[in-house]
Amino acid sequence: MSTIETRERRGALRGIGSSQTSTPQNLMVFVLSMALFGLANIILEIIPDVTVGPVDVSVSYFVFVPLTLAALLNPFWAALGAPLGEIVFTDLLMGDFSGLAEIEGFIQMFLAIYVAGSLVRDPRSRPQIFLGAVVLVGVDKLLSAAVDIGKVWVGVEDAELVEGLPQSIVLLEGIGFGVDVVMSGILFGAIPAMWLIPALHGRIEPLLGMRPRVPGEPRPGSVPRTGWFVVVAVLAALVSFVFAFLEAWDLSVGTVDADFRDRFGDGFLWVAVGALVAVLAIASILFAVWRRRGDR
Amino acid sequence: MSVARVQRDVLSVEWVKLELIRTAYATRGGLFAGMDPRAVVGWYAAMALAPWFTHNLTTVACLFVVAAAAVVLARVGPLVLGLFVIGLVLELVYLALAATLFGGDLTAVVALLEVTAKLGVLSLASLAAFVSLDPEKLSDALLALRFPPAVAFAVSYGYRMMPILVEEFATVMEGYRLRQLPPQQRGLLGWRVVVHWAVVAVKAFYPIFLNTAKSVRTTVEALEARGFTFATIDPRGRAIRIGSLRLGPLDLAVLAVTAALVAGCYAAGAQWPLHRS
Repeated sequence: MSTIETRERRGALRGIGSSQTSTPQNLMVFVLSMALFGLANIILEIIPDVTVGPVDVSVSYFVFVPLTLAALLNPFWAALGAPLGEIVFTDLLMGDFSGLAEIEGFIQMFLAIYVAGSLVRDPRSRPQIFLGAVVLVGVDKLLSAAVDIGKVWVGVEDAELVEGLPQSIVLLEGIGFGVDVVMSGILFGAIPAMWLIPALHGRIEPLLGMRPRVPGEPRPGSVPRTGWFVVVAVLAALVSFVFAFLEAWDLSVGTVDADFRDRFGDGFLWVAVGALVAVLAIASILFAVWRRRGDR
Repeated sequence: MSVARVQRDVLSVEWVKLELIRTAYATRGGLFAGMDPRAVVGWYAAMALAPWFTHNLTTVACLFVVAAAAVVLARVGPLVLGLFVIGLVLELVYLALAATLFGGDLTAVVALLEVTAKLGVLSLASLAAFVSLDPEKLSDALLALRFPPAVAFAVSYGYRMMPILVEEFATVMEGYRLRQLPPQQRGLLGWRVVVHWAVVAVKAFYPIFLNTAKSVRTTVEALEARGFTFATIDPRGRAIRIGSLRLGPLDLAVLAVTAALVAGCYAAGAQWPLHRS
């Protein structure tokens, strides 16, 4: 199928300009995002990780892959597919599956890709793509850095077992964040994306039976009720924190001191579990209400 | 895993592909291969959750032994197992080094040892369970456990397609490398070679995006022609897909023995408690 043919076919292609894309097209974007991000992660397994002391100077992921799909096709389904691809293709297949931490990573990555993809309004505008890539890595790494710092904060606050540990953790997280933004966000994110997205614009969409995006048209796949989406996103972020803390509970309590556990008892754990249950309950109620409204 | 990775990262795309095919297809028989996939997933959940409810080192050590026995029974290949052991040991060494570097003493190392042992139980259990399950069975199990159909599909699609995608990527990359001059000088620490490799790897994604888009469209259209979306809306479709799953005596026996062993681990922990002070 040559490009000229596809241009001529454009009028017959179904649009991606509304939230009413057909189910098969959403499934296509989902599967494509999953497969490509999974592939990118496998390729990354080959690149050696360079570790300078405790700071990891390496590429965490090829950000340009999910960003391209989110910017060109549909941010919601691309964001849903990419982290699942990472879990299924690399973690499960390579025997690196880490339980609850995967849920935390999934939620963070989903939010990051969705937000970044929604930022790119014109797929041919390089500044917007640059911003999108940096924001993607920024959101993802900021959330996980906050979780890490929070773990130490909760654990270490009243026990001065290791002096200067909180400061050094904050410092290390800060350095790690900067390195990640430069390596994953700019070198392997923004620069390839600034070339790849305009190059693929108008070429990849016809292969999926879609019309290329026209700059500035409404977001494909954006949520009709923004307010609801914000609520759900905040809930999702909270859930990811709770999962992270549940996972860290053991480490932080154990490492720090028994006194902490005596004073707060296992009650603290139950607070976390209770928060999780409450958040899940609110989320499912919201989801049910939302669904009923959508049906009408 | 950062240190462990260095060991296998010296290798090539080809190696990764072989490794994937081996993990996905080479079931060597063993205990879990003959079991109902739902029971295997349940077994994995039990083993993965068990270590997190205790700080008792005796219990954790017992659970580690149980998980190691499961790996032996599942006949996990020596390569995967070797990578796991190397990874575990190196991680431990690295954590100890990091702890001493930050002025911690031996208690920190013991704390890390406990966490590493718990994670080790988790990894051993996932090795035993997921290496034994072939993709179709795993995806049926996920469907039976009421995961969204898209996730169940993703798993079986991933296992089937990944070797093909990686091979395609390797071919495209070879093509790009054949058409370009390699860097004339290596530069300091070979940075020119690294940059060249990175540029080629990124460029190779352009044809891969288009090829994959085409093949994904074919896949999805084939799925939809067989009623993928609408079959999952009707509960009878799901019932047909998971109809072949049967819980046999072997599944019940394995689950019962595992429950007994986990209980035994906790009993041993209660008998001879060993806590970190």
